Amino acid sequence: MSRRTITCLLVLYWIVVWAAVIFRIDYFPLTWVPMYSVYAPSDTISAKVWDKDQYKKGLKVTHRDGSISYVSYKDLNIPKPNFRRLYYSRIFGTAPPKHKQGNTELGPLNRWIRGLDKGELYFSVDWEWRMFWTINKTLGHEPPDPQFIIRMETQHQKRIYRKADLFHGHTSKFELITNHALIEWKDSWVPRWEHALL
Amino acid sequence: MRCYKKIGEAWNHFFFTGFSGESLGLLRMYIGCGLLAFHTYQFATVLSLKPLGSMYYFIEPIWYFQLLGIHYHIPALSFVIYALLMGATITMIMGKWTRSSILIVILCIFYLKGVRDSFSGDVHHRYIIPMQMLLLFLLSKCGQVHSRDANRKVYPPVQEWEASWPIKTIQLYVALFYFWSVIAKVRVSGWEWFAGGGRIQEVLIKRSVRWGLTGEGELVKNSLSFELAQHPELIQIFSHLVLAFELGFPLILFIKAVKLRALFLAGVITFHIATFVLMDVNFLLIPFVYLVFFDLVPIHSWLKARTAHLFTRRNSVAC
Repeated sequence: MSRRTITCLLVLYWIVVWAAVIFRIDYFPLTWVPMYSVYAPSDTISAKVWDKDQYKKGLKVTHRDGSISYVSYKDLNIPKPNFRRLYYSRIFGTAPPKHKQGNTELGPLNRWIRGLDKGELYFSVDWEWRMFWTINKTLGHEPPDPQFIIRMETQHQKRIYRKADLFHGHTSKFELITNHALIEWKDSWVPRWEHALL
Repeated sequence: MRCYKKIGEAWNHFFFTGFSGESLGLLRMYIGCGLLAFHTYQFATVLSLKPLGSMYYFIEPIWYFQLLGIHYHIPALSFVIYALLMGATITMIMGKWTRSSILIVILCIFYLKGVRDSFSGDVHHRYIIPMQMLLLFLLSKCGQVHSRDANRKVYPPVQEWEASWPIKTIQLYVALFYFWSVIAKVRVSGWEWFAGGGRIQEVLIKRSVRWGLTGEGELVKNSLSFELAQHPELIQIFSHLVLAFELGFPLILFIKAVKLRALFLAGVITFHIATFVLMDVNFLLIPFVYLVFFDLVPIHSWLKARTAHLFTRRNSVAC
């Protein structure tokens, strides 16, 4: 390649890279947000407490025939850290950081480019439906099967610290709450079963 | 008109001067060696799965998996791709079929990263810089020096401008990567992110508490993070340091003194180690890309001299 071609290539490269930054494109290998960026100031800090034994046991699920069992990371054959995210976040409807970053302070230009109406989110995922699709599909259960999972539940504890207490070194002062998630299969989802995650 | 000329001159001076073909070939070799460890570290979780176990249906496939209609994971295939990735990285280091090797490395990373990030929808950014490097290596003449390919075929010498543009582009990308981090924080959260160190304190507490407590009420892990979280004045200093180093990272491009540059990067490495230990932010191995800020020719000569010396001594002992 000649020096002129390389110059054109470099100009194009930097246009693409900067366009990703300006228009908030976060699709590998482009990004506008390399590291943690979302922060909403509040008077409290809420911290999840993982229960190793509980998540090792897995999600408590109810099958169509009424039987109850547990689905663990071993059953799904996925890494532990990823299962933790299903167990502590997705089932509660909590999106991954990429979605939060993509939805926060998008700005009028980027909303207009994406054709978003007022208040409409760029990333919006029905995590309940996806949990049922992912887990049932992986385990080979189809909607009419007696083993088809129709209910999932999990719970975890959360510690709520007041920043004012932490500033004074009062680490033993916190409020302990238990978050419980229970999601149920809806038969209205059946028509989209074979259309993957649409 | 004069302005355009000056911009052109500055552009040419920055992108097309400073490095030799030898530097480019060595950078390919050393970055390749770094990648061997990096790949293994990044994909270790995927390799912990049962090759013949369940085929997991992704909850949130990465964008190119969605485009290609890849909805589930074939565990055995990931092991094959990983072996291919390591093999191609080794041939890239050796400079054998260099372009094809780099292309295979790129495709394997796309696949394995896609798998890892589609399990639960958490997309990580650790491969962004290495991927930019590989794309630029692919377009460059990095396989024509210090390579098996060069032994087989006689190439014309790589000129300074041909060797410099990929290295300088990578340097600029790495510097901007940190700079964009500040822009992103300010765009999304405003200066509140840095003011008072609130975000850092939040992450310190969340990451220390989440592993739970022992029977005696002690934190299972990261007790140092929890301790630190109780010193807001100290966190405030750290948050200002983060701001200063992320904003100031592009200054490295203007630092000529090698020792000063190494000192700056040592500071950045300390930052990554600290965020890994205290906050579980996993950019621990990314500093291998900082090799791009140095001309590797004298370093390689020094290492070669040292190795040759050791080798000769062993031979003499054997005799």
